[in-house]
Amino acid sequence: MEQLIEQLQELLEIDSIDLTKKFSDYDEWDSLAALSVMALLDSDYGMAIKNSELMAFKSIKEFCEYVLANRK
Amino acid sequence: MDFIFRNKRISGILTVLPGRTVTFEEEMGNYSFSAAKSMKLKLAMGYKEHRIARPGQCSSDFCIHGLQYLFDNGLLDKDSIDALLFVSQSPDYYMPPTSNIIQGHFNMKHDMVCLDINQGCAGFEIGLIQAFMMLEQPAVNKVVLLNADVLSPKVSDRDRNSKPLIGDAASVTVIEKSDDSSVIHANVRMDGTGAFALNIPAGGFRLPSSPETAVMEEDSAGNFRSKDNLVMQGDNVFNFVQREVPPMIDHLLEQAGISKDDVDWYMFHQPNKFMLHKLADKLGVPYGKMPANIVENFGNASGVTVPTNISYNLGDSVVEGTRLVCMAGFGVGLTWSSILMELGNMNFNQIIEF
Repeated sequence: MEQLIEQLQELLEIDSIDLTKKFSDYDEWDSLAALSVMALLDSDYGMAIKNSELMAFKSIKEFCEYVLANRK
Repeated sequence: MDFIFRNKRISGILTVLPGRTVTFEEEMGNYSFSAAKSMKLKLAMGYKEHRIARPGQCSSDFCIHGLQYLFDNGLLDKDSIDALLFVSQSPDYYMPPTSNIIQGHFNMKHDMVCLDINQGCAGFEIGLIQAFMMLEQPAVNKVVLLNADVLSPKVSDRDRNSKPLIGDAASVTVIEKSDDSSVIHANVRMDGTGAFALNIPAGGFRLPSSPETAVMEEDSAGNFRSKDNLVMQGDNVFNFVQREVPPMIDHLLEQAGISKDDVDWYMFHQPNKFMLHKLADKLGVPYGKMPANIVENFGNASGVTVPTNISYNLGDSVVEGTRLVCMAGFGVGLTWSSILMELGNMNFNQIIEF
């Protein structure tokens, strides 16, 4: 999970991400950030995800667990 | 669906761009983004400036200007045109067909076919395939393919998903029979379950434009648009392109029995630089072989981006020489299509302004 967290921190330009927070809790989160996350999942994890699905995760931890469980 | 054609060539491409340039900075104040975020968006997507038609300029005006230029300069003989294809999502009228209006404007011969085709991002490939099929007929020797879209008036000024990238343009492509028997490979795929991934909700017969459809509404990302405006589900479009385009290109090259390295140029539709670089990464094609500079310089004029790309980036190299080119379009419909063919010894390949 560490690698994914590091990638998210780099994408969102956040030094230390709080896994208990939701994406939308961060000011850095916007449509461009969402697209960057989609592109990351596509290129590095072989997954496609919708914006509405990204917004539905109750925490970034839950998102990370979902990605690692469903990566191809 | 796969197609194979022989003895056909593209003998000329003329791209017609609006003379009016609008920069990203001029418009970013309309978006619900801080200046810093807007600049980040500009950098990531490759936005700089785009060409926007003047009020009143319609798709057919750009086509007529381009055709007149070709007639005046002896690059095309009016009487030699056996078919006039007009591919657009911004026709002048519901009826009559815009291709008939253009035919009438020039008083062309009656012994010909005029055909309007409603296609967008893949409109150049769909139009070329239609032209190739017509040229299989003994009576058809020359087809003129017009790609034209003036969709900027349909995009909300406060929509940062679509406004920074939209462009208006037209192109005139001449396709004819040739002695060269080298094979042209092509394919088309469609998925109407995704028909509304890109759409304009109002203004057709299903939902006519009215004061109600003109009301501006805010979406979850802070963009404002009305039902009269073009709307794009950016996440669905991104996922669709990354999922469907690479296997389509792999299949095309496999059919042709050539490797990715053998292709000189990948001339793809231009949604934005971000998406094209992701596509190049996934395909394993160097960025240098897949130009991604049309949106930043001119904007995305749906089906006109591939001819603009060819005119701008290949220029005289396909007039004086020959290049093996893989073209692809993908978007509204959903439609995705690709063509592998040699482009060369063209009579003209250039850009003019109107």
